Amino acid sequence: MNNLQKWVQTIKISWKRYTAYRLNFFLQIIGPSLIFFFIKYNLWSSIYSGEEGLVIKGYDFNQMITYHIWSFVVAQIAQGHTALNLSIDIRMGRISSYLIYPFNFWEFHTASFLGFQILQLGITCLSMTVFSLLGILPDFTLSGMLYGISACLYVSLFWYALQYFTGMLAFWLEETWILRVILQVITVFLSGAVIPLELFPEAVRSVLEYTPFPYLTYYPIKIFMGAPVDMLNFYGVITIWLAIFTAINSYLWKRGIRLYTAAGM
Amino acid sequence: MKLFSETKHYLSVYRKFISTSVSEATSFRTSFILMIFMDIFFFLSAILTVDFIYDHVATIGSWKRPQLMFFISFMLTVDHLHMLLLSHNFWRFSDDLKSGNLDFTLLRPLSSIFIVFFRYFKPSSIPNSFISTGTLIYFGMQNGFGPTQWILLPFLVILAFILLALLEFIISCAMFWLVEGLGINFLRMQMQQLSRWPDFIYGYFTKKLLTFGVPVLLIGSGPVHFLLDINNWPYLLGMIVSCIGCFYFLIFLWNRGLNHYDSASS
Repeated sequence: MNNLQKWVQTIKISWKRYTAYRLNFFLQIIGPSLIFFFIKYNLWSSIYSGEEGLVIKGYDFNQMITYHIWSFVVAQIAQGHTALNLSIDIRMGRISSYLIYPFNFWEFHTASFLGFQILQLGITCLSMTVFSLLGILPDFTLSGMLYGISACLYVSLFWYALQYFTGMLAFWLEETWILRVILQVITVFLSGAVIPLELFPEAVRSVLEYTPFPYLTYYPIKIFMGAPVDMLNFYGVITIWLAIFTAINSYLWKRGIRLYTAAGM
Repeated sequence: MKLFSETKHYLSVYRKFISTSVSEATSFRTSFILMIFMDIFFFLSAILTVDFIYDHVATIGSWKRPQLMFFISFMLTVDHLHMLLLSHNFWRFSDDLKSGNLDFTLLRPLSSIFIVFFRYFKPSSIPNSFISTGTLIYFGMQNGFGPTQWILLPFLVILAFILLALLEFIISCAMFWLVEGLGINFLRMQMQQLSRWPDFIYGYFTKKLLTFGVPVLLIGSGPVHFLLDINNWPYLLGMIVSCIGCFYFLIFLWNRGLNHYDSASS
């Protein structure tokens, strides 16, 4: 019970921290996704306006825009979080405090992540209301929406584990932002966030099936769109990758903390 | 004569900036190598995105594959110059404003804009120079460029880079009025994203706004339209006028920002 209170308080603090500079939060977290969607909307409008009735790999114009609206939602809920604070804590020697606090390092950051996720869910609802007012929100069923959000929240745990992994490397590396950018660039491209995976060459798609990338964006979008997705396989694959990265992170923490030195220690 | 000696002085300072940046960057070899990979991944993802789309459509707007691929290569070359010469400085600027380190910059007997935005050079981007230049030349050849276009190409890359830099300096000035300037760097990056696609993909009002209001679309679309058809010379004129206008606006805004600046340490 006492521990639960610590989690709740940390979530509240993280909310306050994220929303302390609202313009900054908007520009850093929501702005990029909005601009990304705006560019994709214009690009596909331009492509489809060139030929009437054009269908690309089963996508007509409306289906393509639907795909990208759900891609926006997935990006917000599943991939919004970054491990910036985590790596800064390690680099600046702030983890010394966690070593004496009755609240672990991972607990603190996971509680902050949960706080961020709750905030992101609110922002996504707001964005969907805006899409609805603009008349571009695709039709959806309540069950489809619940399945989609559940899938995104589960993916967000894996994304958090990936981000945590890049943050942990701050024990060994001077700069970890490079890894985060590499992860972002590769994920955006290979997960189907820019173009649906059906448009990729067949050979590339076959290779991607053995990686976690399609599970980060493509499959959650398909779940939102109501397309048939093998849910058991989806959750199974994410669980395996989540377990792998949790184990790696735990190992890195044990090794890293032995290396750790801070001022005054 | 004064202009010549001042240029010489600034170049000698810039040589020192490069030298210290190289020493700093090569001290952390893993980060240095990762940055090379980061640039390559970014480059490949941009090129392959367009390539995959063209596997399914013949044209985007009025452009076929070689034309749009040339545009993307052109923008990647401009981005590459930006990464090499400027990118690090914007992030340091937001930190310096918050920490009060800008005070030391303002005390130096050089233009503060020069020190703030040209202090850090990114040597890990050098290997990518060969890839971006090679791709630009390859797609230039695919478009059947003649001697005039080849002569104009390097000047237009530099002009596009100057316009991009000026626009980003102007956006960065907003940090003077904000407690946390990090978000402005994200806004700046979003402006870059908008410029990475040709102007014809945008709707009428967006195109007008991003060409005449905040001329980000002129960065790539201006020179490429001109290179593909010399009759499109008004684009080039627009770029030159935008560069001059942005330069004077930057000076005005920078001075206002400095007046507003209240150092964290003062």
